[in-house]
Amino acid sequence: MSPAKFDADRRAVLAAVADVLIPKGDGMPSASEADAAGRWLDEVLRLRPDFGPPLAALLDTIKGSDPAAAVTRVRAEDPAGFGVLAEVVAGGYFLNPEVRSAIGYPGQQSVPIVHEEPADYEQDGLIASVIARGRVYRPTP
Amino acid sequence: MAEEGFDRSPDVLIVGAGASGAVAAKRLAEEGFDVVCLEQGGWPDYTKARAPYPDYELTSGRDWGWDPNARSSPADYPVDDSESDITALMWNGVGGGTVVFAAHWQRNLPSDFRVRSLDGVADDWPFTYEDLEPYYVRAERDWGVSGLAGDTAFPPGEGPPMPPVPLGRMGRRVAKAHNDLGWHWWPGPNAIATQRYGRLNPCTQRATCLWGCSEGAKASVDRTYWPVAVERGVTLLTGARVKRLLVAPNGLATGALFVDRDGKEHVQRAGVTILACNGIGTPRMLLLSATDAHPDGLANSSGLVGKRLMMHPFGTVVGLFDDDLGSWQGAWGQHIHSLEFYETDASRGFVRGAKWGLQPTGGPLSMTHSYPWGEENAIWGPGFHQQLRKRLGRSAMWGIIAEDLPEESNRVVLDPMKTDDSGIPAARIQYRMSENSRRMMAFHQDRAKESLEAAGAYETVIAPFIRATGWHLLGTAMMGSDPSRSVVDPWGRAHDVPNLYIFDGSTWPTSAGMNPTATIAAVALRGVDHLIAEKRSTRTSS
Repeated sequence: MSPAKFDADRRAVLAAVADVLIPKGDGMPSASEADAAGRWLDEVLRLRPDFGPPLAALLDTIKGSDPAAAVTRVRAEDPAGFGVLAEVVAGGYFLNPEVRSAIGYPGQQSVPIVHEEPADYEQDGLIASVIARGRVYRPTP
Repeated sequence: MAEEGFDRSPDVLIVGAGASGAVAAKRLAEEGFDVVCLEQGGWPDYTKARAPYPDYELTSGRDWGWDPNARSSPADYPVDDSESDITALMWNGVGGGTVVFAAHWQRNLPSDFRVRSLDGVADDWPFTYEDLEPYYVRAERDWGVSGLAGDTAFPPGEGPPMPPVPLGRMGRRVAKAHNDLGWHWWPGPNAIATQRYGRLNPCTQRATCLWGCSEGAKASVDRTYWPVAVERGVTLLTGARVKRLLVAPNGLATGALFVDRDGKEHVQRAGVTILACNGIGTPRMLLLSATDAHPDGLANSSGLVGKRLMMHPFGTVVGLFDDDLGSWQGAWGQHIHSLEFYETDASRGFVRGAKWGLQPTGGPLSMTHSYPWGEENAIWGPGFHQQLRKRLGRSAMWGIIAEDLPEESNRVVLDPMKTDDSGIPAARIQYRMSENSRRMMAFHQDRAKESLEAAGAYETVIAPFIRATGWHLLGTAMMGSDPSRSVVDPWGRAHDVPNLYIFDGSTWPTSAGMNPTATIAAVALRGVDHLIAEKRSTRTSS
């Protein structure tokens, strides 16, 4: 499968529908403002080249449509296509370090386990309460 | 590579390098048996485990996908699920399903082995919890399991060798709520190292267990068992796809015909053959091995090969909380589990029950997905940022494993049309969820909702039913004492073929409502111990 090309026209279509999915608001940039149809699209497609052909085909079908109407139609009529579109847009949006910083998400961090004394399950009588309620299984007859 | 095993006839041939194959291989090697294992896949490539990197959520589905049909790798075979309510999930490669399992390490309960006696449905197992308990204890030490002894939902006894994963903020909240409700909970048992243990590193709580553990902390058997087995002399041939088992005129298994990655066929002979291919691969293999003498498939005089497929209907209930619970981190894995509603209560309108495991909910991209959040709660549009803030780090979810009872109409057959890329007929599954399962799931979802509300959730979401939840493939080569009503005996030996064994979850008479790996491991260990003990008296073809 040859890689799909995303020229300025396709990116413009993507930017418009991406902003329907992730609009500006609450102090956060829209998808296009976060460059989800530019630099981060390139990165998404580098990571997930399998998204390229279905995304390109989808964008070509909605070119010239009202973006909001197009999103509504694709969601209703092409769930698989919408799934690719949504994953590309949100995936690119959340690759942007400024977005990640703004939502307070540093990634899946390494947090070594600290074995507390007493253990967390022993604190505040947590496990003692369970034990006090007694055994709850049915024994082998 | 593959050639090294061809010219010798080992004591034992194992087909499949997942959990049960690994348990058997290591144990046999420890006792000095010559063992060859044929595995159609390869070793997992942990350079693709991207948890430490920003692209993790984007790439995990591609490189660690659970659906063999979607993956379509050279190691996979198609599983036609067009006649099934649930899609079968598996990992075909060294480590098998443990490469991508959530590592919930759940022993079955005593009642799980006595379903007929206690609840009047299905069949009792041919042994009891007490019979299996010593093997659970050994398996937990061999694997590297963390948890806490004394769980009030189980009989007293030894617990896992490592302390449990932290409850975390969400675990503490829900634990306290269950105490207020008087409901059972216990620190989650997991096949996850919480300290350095053998070849395992301590967990770093990146919550990526299901998509290739980048830390080497999850006890998948490609990390724990297979390196040891290979060091002890087991020959593990990867890219070796078995076409069928071979049987001598005297009715004994003589080995397997397999295809290598170049399409070349080979015969691997052995004195004893063990199938360890999961609840779909094993019946597929027996059906593929039909001969004139066994026209309905090997070891199938009972007619039960492929029948009684059980896959555990799965449900999820999510709670949204005001507080930051840090819920994209942790062990995934389970922080706590609850067996409050596991045992049968006839007043509920169904028999048997389900186990709950409290889990993280993932990073920001996961917050946008239709599962578990539901299309009706789609995040897109003007409320996107507000919804994201509500969900990310402030949500917790119960995963619900429901017991499905065996029905002969739920089954694995050979696909008459599709083949894998070696030309071997694919599998087809026919599975319908029973009314008992549907009632059970609805009941448990409602209780799980109450649990999260009691923990302070201001909103809960019952995840929509999706098909892609068939992680647990059980029941399709049932064990029992009666050859007319079972495929293998209580130790996994085929009634019809005395040097053929099955050690995977195919042999389960009923499915329990637990994640099955602990019991698959314990049953395999029990079976291989018996095989070793009886080897001298076992008729072999060598």
